Amino acid sequence: MEYFIQQLVNGITLGSIYGLIAIGYTMVYGIIGMINFAHGDIFMIGAFVALISFIIFGLTGVALPIILLLVLLIAMLFTACYGWTVEKLAYKPLRGSFRLAPLISALGMSIVLQNYVQVAQGARVKPMQPLISGGLEFFKNSEFVVTVSYLQIFIVVLTVILMGIFTYLITKTDLGRAQRACEQDRTMTALLGINVDRTISITFIIGSSLASVAGMMFVLYYGVIDFYIGFLAGIKAFTAAVLGGIGSLPGAMLGGLLIGLIETFWAGYVSLEYKDVAAFSVLIVVLIFFPTGFLGKPDIEKV
Amino acid sequence: MSNLLSVENLTMQFGGLTAIDNLSFDAKNNEITSIIGPNGAGKTTVFNCLTGFYKPTNGQMFLHKDEGKISLRKYTDFKIAHVAKVARTFQNIRLFPAMSVLENLLVAQHNELMVASGYSFFGLLNLKSYRDKEQLAIDKARYWLDIIGLTNRADDNSGDLPYGDQRKLEIVRAMCIEPKLLCLDEPAAGLNPKESAELNKLLKFIKKEKKTGILLIEHDMSVVMGISDHVVVLNYGKKIFEGTADQTKNSKEVIEAYLGVDE
Amino acid sequence: MEKKDIIQSVKDSLFTGIIALALFGPIVGLRTASKGEGLFITPQWGIVFILVGLCIFGRFLINLNSARKTEFTFLSKFTSKLSSVTEEKAKHLAITAILFATVFPFLPFTDRYFMDVAIMILTYIMLGWGLNIVVGLAGLLDLGYVAFYAVGAYSYALIATTFGWSFWICLPLAGIFAAFFGILLGFPVLRLRGDYLAIVTLGFGEIIRIVLINWYEVTNGPDGITGIPRPSFFGLPFKRSPDEGEVSFHTFFNLEYSTMHRIIFLYYLILVLALITNYFTLKIRKLPVGRAWEALREDEIACKSLGVNPTNTKLTAFAIGAMFGGFAGSFFATRQAFVSPESFTFIESAIIVAIVVLGGMGSQTGVVLASIFLIGITEMFRDLEQYRMIAFGGAMVLIMVFKPKGILANRKPTILMHGDKK
Repeated sequence: MEYFIQQLVNGITLGSIYGLIAIGYTMVYGIIGMINFAHGDIFMIGAFVALISFIIFGLTGVALPIILLLVLLIAMLFTACYGWTVEKLAYKPLRGSFRLAPLISALGMSIVLQNYVQVAQGARVKPMQPLISGGLEFFKNSEFVVTVSYLQIFIVVLTVILMGIFTYLITKTDLGRAQRACEQDRTMTALLGINVDRTISITFIIGSSLASVAGMMFVLYYGVIDFYIGFLAGIKAFTAAVLGGIGSLPGAMLGGLLIGLIETFWAGYVSLEYKDVAAFSVLIVVLIFFPTGFLGKPDIEKV
Repeated sequence: MSNLLSVENLTMQFGGLTAIDNLSFDAKNNEITSIIGPNGAGKTTVFNCLTGFYKPTNGQMFLHKDEGKISLRKYTDFKIAHVAKVARTFQNIRLFPAMSVLENLLVAQHNELMVASGYSFFGLLNLKSYRDKEQLAIDKARYWLDIIGLTNRADDNSGDLPYGDQRKLEIVRAMCIEPKLLCLDEPAAGLNPKESAELNKLLKFIKKEKKTGILLIEHDMSVVMGISDHVVVLNYGKKIFEGTADQTKNSKEVIEAYLGVDE
Repeated sequence: MEKKDIIQSVKDSLFTGIIALALFGPIVGLRTASKGEGLFITPQWGIVFILVGLCIFGRFLINLNSARKTEFTFLSKFTSKLSSVTEEKAKHLAITAILFATVFPFLPFTDRYFMDVAIMILTYIMLGWGLNIVVGLAGLLDLGYVAFYAVGAYSYALIATTFGWSFWICLPLAGIFAAFFGILLGFPVLRLRGDYLAIVTLGFGEIIRIVLINWYEVTNGPDGITGIPRPSFFGLPFKRSPDEGEVSFHTFFNLEYSTMHRIIFLYYLILVLALITNYFTLKIRKLPVGRAWEALREDEIACKSLGVNPTNTKLTAFAIGAMFGGFAGSFFATRQAFVSPESFTFIESAIIVAIVVLGGMGSQTGVVLASIFLIGITEMFRDLEQYRMIAFGGAMVLIMVFKPKGILANRKPTILMHGDKK
């Protein structure tokens, strides 16, 4: 029982990280109808920027909460630049083309980003000392002590806050409306005077910022990163976005949590080696029965 | 004249919206039946129900064949064309634009050709039996292209044809599956008067020579009044009139539906 | 140029510079390196300033030239010329290419290195032609093609090492096995919409790889399967000292023993396999099923309205594509004499998809050109190991941006009513 609760806690934490990345996928897919293959690598870059910032700030004597806030903002800022640039270089020119073109471009971009970081930072894994340690313990008298670390609490709380902010942004502000309009009908939106390019760019910036937060969390949580983490996290996050229903923001977070839980429970109870397989298998099974995911809007093609 | 198509109490609801409400009508063999009505009346929805794109909420649609009648509800997807032999065209032309005119017509004959090619094995071995069947298919294509005057453009990409020709091509492509019922969704849309007249000629030819029943959605009254044997008028998903073309022209209900009533 | 254009260009360039600084600053400028248990930062501002400078300069140049757009039109004119030339002279080009390929091993400059590169390019060409059936003709976005390559390779390895049957028996068996996997995977997922199909096939590729790594009992895990019998020349082994009762290839033909014999044999083997794939594809395009694939790619709803069964048609494409992937995998296994999971990563699927799309969907010649170009680039940069992958990815992006339909994206009808009119 206690073991179960521990896995639950771990799963929710992992799920939050996946969910934040998944939001980027789902927003981009919603607005320009493409899978941004390079998004996972944006997450990886966010992790690297966070790592570097942590190292630099670690040398100063600044207090931990300030460091966290600063690193958060810095990571978001610099990673957003990457997201913006990738969109302008690799996707914008292909907006009218057939479906496969931006996909190949995204694949190419993903390869470029991975190897660029590998060349620039070296291929070795990058470890970091844990910054946030300690936690709360429950069931201290039983065989298995459930630990909820402060870091885990931090991750989940931060995720909830960000979800709140961005949901408000999407549903209540002009930007959000413009975004939803672009999702439905880009041409018409442009004809109504909305700057479609800017809306799309902002979507990429938001997605990248959230991915960078996930990157920062990843660095803190796992303590070690390398240039390859983007690939696996990316596919799983995309799986999460599809599970929850592509195009739906709460769906992305829901999907993320689901994937995080499935992966953690599978690793904890069935087999550690095959935990990645679990996520993909779930995806395949779900798509067979729910071709548009749980919360996705069904795709009715007008005949 | 016997019935070809019997629609009985057809109802289609999307959530709270009733698109078609208890619709019943018949289309007879060897006749051209037009479905008309103001926009939003539910005409394309009827087509989509008949051709397996929507599953009706209620009601039946029967196609009468020599062997007896079959319920169209049972057929979805490609089986409507393959088994039930109901062909259709679309409001927005759906040709295969990057393929040639001839290739478009050959795809329509896919199923017979597949069997003739021995599911590709005879074809791969280049057996004469397949080559002969392929030649027959080409001949059938030529036959239809001659009728619509596009034979010398057989090897051009279908996407390069002018709009009017594309429409005609879509119709003869549908005829290549030898349907019993041909459903045309606004075939005259975007055609100028000369092209509409040619369309009328083509449809009358099909009705007479091919003994195929035609069901037509149209707004262009020159086409409807020019060739229809039977007209069904819809408004807000309900049938408000059914009769011959002349009767329809003069019906009070139809005029009201289209032009409104003086208050 | 007008003064205000120059001012605008300068502004653009400065903006580019700032962005470039943000991009390169942290990642390139602050390199982390290990020291003991932690990391420390080595600043590399020199490189950053060079990169930023290049970006500013490049942006300025583009702005200056955008009024004239000379470079870009040059490129599209070049590729259009290339397409029309290859179209007209298709038969001549093909024969020339095959002749060249046939005599290639005996050309004066062809050494072991060139042979290996040639074999690699031919393997990718075969894989590209195989995937071309799925992606190029049928328009199905398969991002996990490496799975069938792997299934072919591993089943060949297992059959060959367990039963010791000859190459010519194991190869078809492996192909059938891969086709079977194709049907197994295709059946539930081919109804899915394009992008979803992509991610599911990607997932399948990954599942296969993970299973290969972890299923020790069957696949020997990360160590892979070794000792796969090397190919023989129809019974004559390529060994310096053959076993009892065997006559070696070099003895039979009265030649000095050389490892090149086996290499040349392998080269011709993959050449023949690839040509068979090509021949099969060309023939099947003209058959109803091939036409149905292309029609499905164009408009599935129209196909359904004509009575074409989309599921069966897609499944056929998938299975046949998988089969050729399996054949290529068998070749790979016997060439290397050893298979391991690390040869079957997602990047392989990405490369093969890139070859098909960059060459121009459905274009057989395009696949050849794209393979030579892409593998050629990676070989040229071989010394600069990591930079070559950046070049590879960059090439993908650039070609897509400038020529989204691929280099040679012209389609000729598979059947003509009026015959060739020249």
